[in-house]
Amino acid sequence: MTDKKTQEDQVPEIKAGATLLDLVHVCRSFDGVPVIKDVNLQIRKNEFFTLVGPSGSGKTTILKMLAGMDQPTTGDIVLGGKSISALPPDKRPTCMVFQFLALFPHMTVGQNIEFPMRIKGIPRDKRVYRAQELMDMVALPEKYYDKNVMKCSGGERQRVAIARAFAYDPEILLFDEPLSAIDAKLRKTLQRELKELHRKSGKTFIYITHSLEEAMFMSDRVGVLRSGVLEQVGTPEEIYRHPNSSFVASFIGDTNIFPVKARPQGGYESPDFPGMEIKIAPTPELLEGKLIVRPESLKVVKDPSEADNVIRCKLRDSFSLGSRSQYLLTSGKKEITLELPHGACGDGTSEVLLGWNAQDAIFVKE
Amino acid sequence: MENTRQSRAARDFIRVWTVIVLIFIYLPVICDALSSLSKSRYFSFPIKRWSMDWWVKTFNSMEIGELVRNSLVIAFAVTIISTVIAFCGALAFARYDWKGKKFFQKAILLPIFFPQPVLGLALLLWFNSIGVPLSWKTAAFAHLVWITPIVTLVIAIAVYGFDPALEDAARDLGASRFQIFRMVTLPVLWPGVWSGMLFAFLLSWGNFPLSLYTTGIDNTVPKWLYSKMVAGYSPMVPTLGTMSTLAAAVVMIAGGAAVYFIRKARSRNS
Repeated sequence: MTDKKTQEDQVPEIKAGATLLDLVHVCRSFDGVPVIKDVNLQIRKNEFFTLVGPSGSGKTTILKMLAGMDQPTTGDIVLGGKSISALPPDKRPTCMVFQFLALFPHMTVGQNIEFPMRIKGIPRDKRVYRAQELMDMVALPEKYYDKNVMKCSGGERQRVAIARAFAYDPEILLFDEPLSAIDAKLRKTLQRELKELHRKSGKTFIYITHSLEEAMFMSDRVGVLRSGVLEQVGTPEEIYRHPNSSFVASFIGDTNIFPVKARPQGGYESPDFPGMEIKIAPTPELLEGKLIVRPESLKVVKDPSEADNVIRCKLRDSFSLGSRSQYLLTSGKKEITLELPHGACGDGTSEVLLGWNAQDAIFVKE
Repeated sequence: MENTRQSRAARDFIRVWTVIVLIFIYLPVICDALSSLSKSRYFSFPIKRWSMDWWVKTFNSMEIGELVRNSLVIAFAVTIISTVIAFCGALAFARYDWKGKKFFQKAILLPIFFPQPVLGLALLLWFNSIGVPLSWKTAAFAHLVWITPIVTLVIAIAVYGFDPALEDAARDLGASRFQIFRMVTLPVLWPGVWSGMLFAFLLSWGNFPLSLYTTGIDNTVPKWLYSKMVAGYSPMVPTLGTMSTLAAAVVMIAGGAAVYFIRKARSRNS
């Protein structure tokens, strides 16, 4: 009873879309080694936010601090206007779906889902009713209620873990890469279901993954983390169209990155293509940087006048991506990746002219 | 063709080997049981006259009743105390990281490798020097010194397989420390705790070298068996030995059955 009251105290009514969770100058170091470096981040109510970064980037550390299993060295975590940095996990309105799910092996599916309700002291009949509602929500058949949780398949366990987290009725659900151990086909299905569940439940989801593709697929907004620094936060579209660094750009998959430098006589040049002027639009303020050209921004041209920038390449290899084809070409020593909807790209002996328009490339500082 | 013949030969070999091993293990037990059923005082084979006399005598003997009670009291006390200590010890051994853990892991093994007769003598000297009178209680203490580390290792094996994330998850779902222990940690580790308890009971029940030095005037079953074999042999020795083996078998079977039925009831209920 007291727990419930403090929980209600913590979260005053916040409108959907307003800031729910605020990370203020959050730093975390282990034995003096900084792991999280001054992260500032606002997470809005009802959004699906994904933190993405390579392993060791600190995303799990941030999630643990949000769940209460770890505390920031300096900085504060504010939920609905109140600091929660010092609250233990059992006193926070957050609930985590663990990477390896952490289902209780000695309990049935139903007992697992009912666990948080048993802790809260909810009477048995209400518990059973709610557990069955939740099982229905995550598409687990009713007869699974009595099934030994260790006898469930990977996808079924996933659903049990999510239903159990919902049974706690948290304000925020945290997901620690729960789909990383699932095979590709099922993962796509579960991603779609998770997104739908987010929309239906109206809860705030915070998800972490090392796959930007997964992040883009599900999230309203994405934060890209690199060695403890939040590099960029934005919608998947923004991250894709306007990455603010070559790290963010390359994280999304194959991309072409050329170092560029202003020429004294105007325009830019790249050591990858000696003697060639590279046109960038709009003209950047910086004299030096990197140019990002997405594989699908490149096109095969017959005449150099067909694109702003044209390079001569040799075809090295081709890969089918199903609906599209990917080609690996070389221009001098530089490897170039090209993606086309279908069709051939030269015969491997003759040269291919590849072009891109000035406004299709992205200029970043580093 | 070659392959199946080879594997058939291997299978036959394993069968024969298993039978030989079983004979080696159970022949002494069977001999013991047979000699208790013979009317004559000294065992000879084949048995000329069968009789249950020695079983009736043993069963009705006041002295033996006292022995069995002593042994049972010691065994139960040792089981309960050693399991409680060993459970905490096993968590320290395998679950938590703390300064001195490596030393603890090695230090706890030493009493097991210490020869029991020497350990018994050392404890006797120690009890004498601090002036504790010898009784079944000192014997139980002596058993604890040797048995608790073994039970700790048995439970630690289960703790090594325990996923600490389960406790984190329970806490995240609102459970207090005590609720986590009662609803998650203990039930998940229960099979290991149960086997530790069985070990403790059977090791205490059958212990001779420690009891020899530390029981004082209270006698235990193994100690009595030994003294009767040294002087004053009667077929009550193999009779009590057989009874003891049967009782141990009953404990094991009952333990196994209990686990089986609890599991079954758990999966049926709720």
